Amino acid sequence: MKHKLPLLFLAVAPSTFAVPLLAHHGNAAYNYDKRITVSGTVTEWIWANPHCWLKFDAKNESGEVTHWIVEASAPPTISAQGWSHNSFKAGDQVTVTMIQVKNGQPIGRFEGDVTLNGKPFPPHDNGSSGNSKGDPKP
Amino acid sequence: MPKRCFFSAILLIALLSLPRLLHAQNAPGTTEEQVKPRSWNNGPPAKKVYVGQKSAPAPRRDLSGIWNAAAEGGVQAKGVLEYPALLPDHPQDDIGEQPDESKIPHPLPYTPLGLAALKTNKPGVGVRAVGPGLVNDPVDSCDPQGFPRMELFEFRVVEITQTKNQVLLLYQFYDNWRVIWTDGHALPDPKEAEPRWNGYSVGKWVDDYTFVVDTVGMNDKTWLDNAGRPHSGDLTVHEQFHRVNYDTLELTVTINDPKFYLQPWQALNKFALHRLPDDFDVQEFFCAPSETADYNKLIGTPASVETPQK
Repeated sequence: MKHKLPLLFLAVAPSTFAVPLLAHHGNAAYNYDKRITVSGTVTEWIWANPHCWLKFDAKNESGEVTHWIVEASAPPTISAQGWSHNSFKAGDQVTVTMIQVKNGQPIGRFEGDVTLNGKPFPPHDNGSSGNSKGDPKP
Repeated sequence: MPKRCFFSAILLIALLSLPRLLHAQNAPGTTEEQVKPRSWNNGPPAKKVYVGQKSAPAPRRDLSGIWNAAAEGGVQAKGVLEYPALLPDHPQDDIGEQPDESKIPHPLPYTPLGLAALKTNKPGVGVRAVGPGLVNDPVDSCDPQGFPRMELFEFRVVEITQTKNQVLLLYQFYDNWRVIWTDGHALPDPKEAEPRWNGYSVGKWVDDYTFVVDTVGMNDKTWLDNAGRPHSGDLTVHEQFHRVNYDTLELTVTINDPKFYLQPWQALNKFALHRLPDDFDVQEFFCAPSETADYNKLIGTPASVETPQK
C-alpha cells in the first residue's frame, strides 16, 4: 500500500525565498534557491516540538523508493493555519513543495503548496500570526 | 394505586428539575442561548486584524489578560527587533559566516569582553550564522530560554495575571513563567544570590498605566536573542509595561550589562502586545527532550552532515 504512486519528482522553476519558514534551528543546511515538488504516499505524521514532520515514500519510474522527511513548523504555528495532529494518515497521497537540504539527503522543509489526496492543504488559513508561505514565524 | 401515585410524583419532580439541571451546566449568569462553543488550542491573529482597531480606555493599574506578542514580530528570529543581525542589502536572508557584526546597520556597543563572548556563540541565523552542525544555541537542546530572551525570541502569547503581591507572566514558548514581586521585596545582591535562569524581579506602578520591573541575578548560560548576542552575570534588565488602552500594552526592554556593553541599549522599544479574548486557549509549547532527540536523529543530524551517509 505504501508504494503505489509513481514518482512525480518535478523540479519546479528556481525561485528566491525572502524569508525562511523555520528559523530557530538554523537555516544554513537548506538550499533556499530552489523549490522542488515531490509526490508520494504518507507513512507517518509526527506532531511534536520543536517541529512537526511528515514521512512519505516516493517511487521513481524504475520502482526505486525514496523515504522523504519534510519538516513543518511548530504545532502552535501551523495549527493556527489549519494543520492538526491528525492532518495526515498512513496511505494518504501527498504532493509537497519544499526546499531540500544542501547535502542531497531526502530531507526538506515545507515551502509552498501542499495537496492531500488531490485537494489543496490546508483547507483554510485564518490569517493568524505565522504563515506557512513566508511570514517570518519559526 | 399508591404505587402509581409514587411514580407519578417522581416523574413530576424530574420534569420540574430538568431546566434547572440544564442551566447548571452553563457559566454563571448565562442562558443556554448565550453560551457559545469554546475552542481549544487557539492561534493568535495576525497584525492586520488590529489595524484601525478602536478600544476602550485602559483600566487603572491592570495588566491582566492574554496578550498576543506574535502579531508585531515577537518571534524576532533575526535578533532583537531594535538591533537585527542582518546586512543592509539583505534585510531578510540569513547570510551567515560573517566574522562579526560590524557591517550590520545598527551594531551593538560591545566591550572587548562582550565581543569575545559574542564570538563563542554560534547561532543558526543572522549575519553570524554558522554552517550545519556547528550551531551551539542552548535552546536547541531544550535549555530554558531564560530572561530576557523569553521576550526577545519566540515571544508569542503571554498571559498576565495579578495577585495582591505579585504579577505573574505565563509565557507560551517552552511553557515558562516569571514572578514579579510587588509587595516591597528588595532585589537581592546579585553577587550573593543564587543565579537563576529567569533572575529575580520586582515591579511597581509609576503611574496608573505604567508598570516598571527591574530584574537581576540571571545566570550566564543563556543568550539574549536568536542571533547569539551574549550577556554576563552582571546583566540587569529594566522593563516598562505601558497600558495604552484596553486592548494594547506596550513593552520596552532595556539591557544593561556594563561588562559586555558600553552603554545600556533597548532591545524592545514600545513593542505592542494586543489583548486576546478572555476565552483564548493557549496551546502548550513544551520542549520535550525525547521529541527533540527524535528530531535531531531524523532531521537535524542527517541534514547537517557535509556528505550523505550511504
